[in-house]
Amino acid sequence: MSGFGGVLPWARRTLVERDKILTSEEFSAILGICQIVPGPNIVNLAVCVGSRFAGAKGAFASVMGLTLGPISLVMLLAVLYDHYSYLDSVKGILRGISAVGVGLIASTGFKMLRDEFRYPAMLLVVIITILAVCYFHLGLGWVVLIASPLALFLAWKKAHKV
Amino acid sequence: MSILLSLFLKLSAFSLVAFGGVNALLPVLLNLAVNQEHWIDLQTFSDYFAIAQAAPGPNFMTVTLLGWHVYGVIGACVATLAIAWPSSIFIFYLQRLLLGIKDPHKKQSIQYAAAALAIGLVLSSAWQIALQINHGVAAYALTIATITFTLFTRWHPLYLIVFGAVLGLFGFI
Repeated sequence: MSGFGGVLPWARRTLVERDKILTSEEFSAILGICQIVPGPNIVNLAVCVGSRFAGAKGAFASVMGLTLGPISLVMLLAVLYDHYSYLDSVKGILRGISAVGVGLIASTGFKMLRDEFRYPAMLLVVIITILAVCYFHLGLGWVVLIASPLALFLAWKKAHKV
Repeated sequence: MSILLSLFLKLSAFSLVAFGGVNALLPVLLNLAVNQEHWIDLQTFSDYFAIAQAAPGPNFMTVTLLGWHVYGVIGACVATLAIAWPSSIFIFYLQRLLLGIKDPHKKQSIQYAAAALAIGLVLSSAWQIALQINHGVAAYALTIATITFTLFTRWHPLYLIVFGAVLGLFGFI
């Protein structure tokens, strides 16, 4: 619930620093995996951490624990939105926030992009992906299928070089 | 009932290609919900996106709100479940395998490859979403300012969201 600006830093503080359920290395390893597999990252993290302690039941419990609060809150906001969305001030506020929101998503991408300059060949994968989506308008499934062989090939070379 | 089923099936299909999380999915989601299925109009979608960005909690909330719009509380739960279950089952069975890879090169290869895909998808997503929901020069300027601030300062994103809200309140965006 207190996950302003993403839940990850908060999850780390609780699991590693306060409750000492996981060591810092374990948390990083799990997080690494959850960020590379597709799907909502934070749900993936909950599945990994929960299943470590109580199998499928634990995974289910931690996903529920992590999502029910924010889901209820956001539905409350949706009710407020239904009542007040006709106001010009509300419309303006939301326009401002969504312009910032797009920027935040882009900067997540740009931050990750900085690391890729250590092995510039990998940028080819990024460029192909962007072209496939924005220029050729291929479906995401096709984009992943087309780009992943090259991505794996270059990643293999990068792993042996760096 | 059929609209719930369609919501569930179509969102489930996206789950396993969402490299880079739900943010990478947003343009596809917009296209499906606004242009193909007419579940929602573009303005409401943009507003839900803004609400999801500003509210505390995970970033799949746009999906939850879309479900809410289609079929109330049940819709919200169905949509959230649909976007999460395929990837959850995938990671549940795969995590032992992935954590168990001892060869550091193999492990790194998988990480590097997935990171490159995620970067491409997230950047494309930001670009396409910007084209749809930013109206006018001021909105693009604010988006670019946000990118600059997050890349070159250590400001908390919440300040930027408040800043955007204030600018919007006074009619600048």
